[in-house]
Amino acid sequence: MRQLWTMTRSDLRQRIRDKSVVIFAIIVPLALMAVLDLVIGDAQDEPIGPVTVAASVPAGDDLAAALVGALDGLGGDGAGGLRVTVKDAPAEQVRDLARNGEAQVGLIVPDGFGASLRSGTGKQVTVIEGDGGIGTQIVISVLQEAIDHLEAGSSSAIAGSRLGLTPAEVAAAAQSVAAARPSITLARGAASNEQLSMSGALVAGQAGLFLLFTVGFGVLALVYERDQGTLARLRSMPMRPGLVVGAKALVAFILGVVATSILLTVGGLLFGVDFGSVPAIAVLVLCVVTASTSLMFIVARVARTSEQASIAQSIVALVLGIAGGAFFPIAATGFVGTLLDLNPISAFIRGLGITYGGGGIGDIGVPVLIMLGFAVVAAAISRVIPDRGAGL
Amino acid sequence: MTEHATRHTPPEGPPGDGDVLLVTDLSRRFGDLIAVDGVSFRVGRGETYGLLGPNGAGKTTTISMVAGLIEADAGTVTVKGHRMGPARVEPKRHIGLVPQELAIYPELTARENLTFFGRLQGMSGTTLASRVEDVLDVIGLSDRAKDPTKEFSGGMKRRLNIGIGLLHEPELLILDEPTVGVDPQSRNSILESVESLSTAGMAVLYTTHYMEEAERLCDRIGIIDSGLLQAEGTRDELIRLTGDVDHIRLDGSGDTVAAEAALLALPAVEQVDRERHTLHLAVHDAPTAIAEIVTEATSAGMRLNDVQITRPNLESVFLRLTGKALRD
Repeated sequence: MRQLWTMTRSDLRQRIRDKSVVIFAIIVPLALMAVLDLVIGDAQDEPIGPVTVAASVPAGDDLAAALVGALDGLGGDGAGGLRVTVKDAPAEQVRDLARNGEAQVGLIVPDGFGASLRSGTGKQVTVIEGDGGIGTQIVISVLQEAIDHLEAGSSSAIAGSRLGLTPAEVAAAAQSVAAARPSITLARGAASNEQLSMSGALVAGQAGLFLLFTVGFGVLALVYERDQGTLARLRSMPMRPGLVVGAKALVAFILGVVATSILLTVGGLLFGVDFGSVPAIAVLVLCVVTASTSLMFIVARVARTSEQASIAQSIVALVLGIAGGAFFPIAATGFVGTLLDLNPISAFIRGLGITYGGGGIGDIGVPVLIMLGFAVVAAAISRVIPDRGAGL
Repeated sequence: MTEHATRHTPPEGPPGDGDVLLVTDLSRRFGDLIAVDGVSFRVGRGETYGLLGPNGAGKTTTISMVAGLIEADAGTVTVKGHRMGPARVEPKRHIGLVPQELAIYPELTARENLTFFGRLQGMSGTTLASRVEDVLDVIGLSDRAKDPTKEFSGGMKRRLNIGIGLLHEPELLILDEPTVGVDPQSRNSILESVESLSTAGMAVLYTTHYMEEAERLCDRIGIIDSGLLQAEGTRDELIRLTGDVDHIRLDGSGDTVAAEAALLALPAVEQVDRERHTLHLAVHDAPTAIAEIVTEATSAGMRLNDVQITRPNLESVFLRLTGKALRD
């Protein structure tokens, strides 16, 4: 154990003095997070602004009033919903108001709108789209839906009239259709309970991607030391050969845990992401670092030289990182989907999604099992495949 | 090749009291390549044994098995009576390895490098600290002890590389081509260090493809090529093994015919060829016989203007044993 700690401490000291691990494991990913947050984050997390609707509605027309009244259900209190203000305006000013930005939507309901609906004759309602982004689109959609609803009532009235109903019965039928609630309702909900916010996904993804580089500094030191001759000297020391490999694994593990913890903490603070339960996050970090470290031992066995090791490490990191969702979520089904699910980086991000959504240690069983399973398989493979650099 | 290989026989009997290293029938192959093929030799206390051969002869593979870095396919290595192997700990306590590469950490200082490897050797506390300072002094790096080794010159790194191997005062020091790429001054310093270690009683296994180093340092030399130990012995034994004799060239005037006849009668002289005023002599042990030869030639009426002695060296031995030059 004394020799294991001596090698671990010396390796850590060299990695810190070398500074490349600090740059690659912490500074670069944080910088990349910031850049990606600027590029992607703003577009995806765009807040929905208030919408002013300039409306010209004929007085005394209850159906025209009902059309405008449909906008009342959009959460006018502004508490997380869309705030809509309806501003009465003469018909000739509505277009100007929408054009100059005083209103985001213009609505012109023609005189005789209600009567024409009841009689089944068409009247044109004019909706003018201003510059209001997503809020404008929502308001227009709601208006369209309200018009469709009123038109359904009108159709019912016409059909009743053709069937010989009395005017009173036709009016009652039309009123009934207009007042009916939709039989299909939509409930607000998250796309998935493992879904991180865009900023959260960025932080988690970059932490996962660069973890594969970070642990490489520890494990792939085996290859670098083989090149520079120190590995031969270490193997000539009076200690078990496994201690050398153990020390490299321990260094990789320590570097990985520290770097990932820093990235999640600092990234979370910088981008306002709370990943949730700290114990659960700690378990996820330990598991993903274990999986990544095991993977790097395969690279160490396959690479003949340090140059080959660097190239292989970069390929593995980028493929697993991107496939795991380091830059953007990737969805797939079937065999490819299963493969993506078994990626330790995607399991790590999924696990963080669970904790972000309020989950604890008891809820992260699946991602934890995937990461630990990956670690076991990778470690087994690294023991079985021949060490291509051993004869050098 | 076969004829020469039979010149070498494995060490016989159990390791003697003075044997620090005993190598018996050591073999190793990499795929189809037979890197080492039945190599045997022994190194005693205070003895410097040289493995002389060109690049790719099998020297480093042999060293790797002797130091327990790789497993042998066949044969054994015994250090101080302990069987050596990659997983063996006890025999490794007795060896110090100086690899051909500069096996030091560039980010660490000279003192930190020594301390690190000293701890792995099991040293600690004041013993380690004191020994580190001693070695720094021996290798002439005391004033640069706090500097990162990445700032060192090639010669300084070579000296530190050797210093690490010496730190725990091993009974067997294994040096794998320690002077490759070293300037003449540092090279001489390294050779002097090895000489003093041997004098102090350390067994030294030294590989090189430089004939001069082998001749200067080694008590016994094993000539290795294509994985086979072609022959071994002292320098003189190896030369005698090939049947080579010394050559003396006498330039002068006077009665060279009478001188030729007189010299042929001497027991040390094997052959005399006359070419106008020059005599070419094939002689056993020229340094011993030269005085008598000069006296006899002069007495026979030859006036000598110039005398040149040419002795066979390990280069010519190697050429004769393998059919190729040492640096091929």
